[in-house]
Amino acid sequence: MIPRYVERRHVEEAGGSIQVASVFHAGSDTYTILTDTDANKTIISDLPTRLGEEFSILLKGGEASPGVPTELDIGTKVEGYGVFTFPYGPVTWGVPEAGGFKLVTYGERVIKVVPHVNFKKRGVEKSAVGSRPEDALLLVERSAGNFSASYSTCFVTAVENALRLEVPSQARWTRAVAIELERIYNHLYVFGRLAEAATQNVANTQTNALRERVLRLNARFFGHRYLFGINRIGGVTSNLSKDQRKELRNSVELLTKEFGELVQYFLSSRVFLDRLQNTARLQKEDALALGAVGPCARGSGVTWDDRLTYPIEPYGDVFVNIETDAGGDTMARTMVRINEIQTSTIVLRELLDRMPSDGIGPPGEAANSSRTSDPEDFSFCRIESPSGDLIEVVQLDEKGRVSNLHIRPASLVNWLPFAKSLENNVFTDFQFAFESFGLCYADSDR
Amino acid sequence: MPKLWVLRGIKKGILTTKFPKRPPAPDEVPPSSAPPTPTEASDWDKGESLCPTGAIQASRKKVDLGACVYCRRCASANFAFAAGDDRGPASLRASLAEDGRAEKETLEDLERRWKTFRRSLHILMIDVGSCNACNLEVLNLSNPYYDLTRLGIFFTNSPKHADALVVVGALNKDMVDVLKRTYESMPHPKVVISTGACAISGGVFRDAESFVSPIRDALPVDVLIPGCPPSPIQILQGLLLGLGKLQSGRESNAAEVAKD
Repeated sequence: MIPRYVERRHVEEAGGSIQVASVFHAGSDTYTILTDTDANKTIISDLPTRLGEEFSILLKGGEASPGVPTELDIGTKVEGYGVFTFPYGPVTWGVPEAGGFKLVTYGERVIKVVPHVNFKKRGVEKSAVGSRPEDALLLVERSAGNFSASYSTCFVTAVENALRLEVPSQARWTRAVAIELERIYNHLYVFGRLAEAATQNVANTQTNALRERVLRLNARFFGHRYLFGINRIGGVTSNLSKDQRKELRNSVELLTKEFGELVQYFLSSRVFLDRLQNTARLQKEDALALGAVGPCARGSGVTWDDRLTYPIEPYGDVFVNIETDAGGDTMARTMVRINEIQTSTIVLRELLDRMPSDGIGPPGEAANSSRTSDPEDFSFCRIESPSGDLIEVVQLDEKGRVSNLHIRPASLVNWLPFAKSLENNVFTDFQFAFESFGLCYADSDR
Repeated sequence: MPKLWVLRGIKKGILTTKFPKRPPAPDEVPPSSAPPTPTEASDWDKGESLCPTGAIQASRKKVDLGACVYCRRCASANFAFAAGDDRGPASLRASLAEDGRAEKETLEDLERRWKTFRRSLHILMIDVGSCNACNLEVLNLSNPYYDLTRLGIFFTNSPKHADALVVVGALNKDMVDVLKRTYESMPHPKVVISTGACAISGGVFRDAESFVSPIRDALPVDVLIPGCPPSPIQILQGLLLGLGKLQSGRESNAAEVAKD
């Protein structure tokens, strides 16, 4: 039997801490992106590896063409007297997106979870092929609206690398500011949803109000509430003046300070904590073997953050603390997110205080008109999106059009860790597990 | 602790918007919601070639706001983007009918159906292939800044309890059946609100393999709310327009939204 996911023993066969991050095709070759979690390195291997093969099977769901809803089924078939399969979605309010689950239950216990994805696969990668990078950018940033800054920054950085473009530092630093703002509002969203699931209405309302304030800051300083259109090839569109930077810094600091105070109260509520503690525990071994990324991996004690391990400018220059928690349960993941909001504030302060003023790149589309890249060559970029590691691989043809685009979103690889963690939990814990993983159907069904 | 919450709440003051009694405040109107406005200096041909979704139609000298994704590329073809322009270009189906695409529904039918929900409207959001931004903006309506319930509008979890179906996203192959079944299981009378550029025209996904058709080709749509994503205020405008609680003549923009 071919394993449906990368098991620990396969990882050990490959040598210690190596993990497959993604598999993609360029021309007739298949490449494997490997992550060395001990040495903090990214390795691209052009040799067909066994791990890579197995991972392609895992990604098969993600690579399915539109029109084919896919069940990410792992493990064994569960049958028997009293075993009931509960279909959930795709039209629900619990998950405000088009996507579903099959929950195999025995009484109150959930024995197995089968995520049901690809209901809204839009085929961004296919649509982007043959278009100019500027047009592909519009598609890429609308892959997942709530991770738009990460998606577009990842894409433009890959294209710029392919074209060997010089990008002013200020533009790169501005992109990082947008990514950190995005992280803050997404983490606030997750916390708000958790509070809502526990009917902590005050917590939910207060957090939502804070999130609305971040969205308004986005609109004020970047022109769009969800940070669409902030990037262009070779630069950014918003030029933050000295005063604006100071204002943004102060607003975010005030906001996260308020959140810090609120969290103290929320986390003193026994009712709330009871729902989070010991819910949906994901062991570190499982997190590694199933390739979990982002806050859910860090909530299981995996020290992996692209901001440190694959630092694009400016993350090499600023201090980023990796927030981890060894607990592995919903509480641990929530604490990681709460702490990351504070970390992001510190990063933002440093970014905004030390941002260089060397321009935001040439206006319009003049930057890349004269440059071409080797059609055989591909370039890639990794960004720590709010849900975790995002990988994009771009290949450009002679005319400078996109000939190949591969996106490996964070949510896609987090489905199986989520399914694993929910095993043997009670039915009512579902919402907490789902929200704490920060899973997003738009992200995995890009 | 409960005492403390009350004090904290009072200290914060009222966050909720004054809309619809007063026009929305400047910070409630994001700059991205300003639609492209043709001026005398506008270069229509250049605008059409720059526009990624075909919203600018040079032959008819019209900007189709339903297709516009607000990317502002046409700014270099001298299309104006007025700051604070909150033209909530929501439009009623009645206006669409006037535009030549008359369906069996008459204006009276439409009014009668909406009139039922004047005091309380229960809405169900259905995602048929969005990027999650529209979903979040609809969810944002329940936060204290917009507070949907003060206007007698409530979210519901089940199509059986829903009066209005808020559809977001570009209709995906997989979701056609789901959408139709959801619509059918709603009790009469019912209304459909098509929210966001993707739902109205397909937006950036209109050439995607998975895209089927605009929502109004699949269901009888009553209100269109353009935007990418529409801001919460614009969604509110759309809902209130249907309910007849919006006094200003926003229907006048209907023709701009209507796409052929």
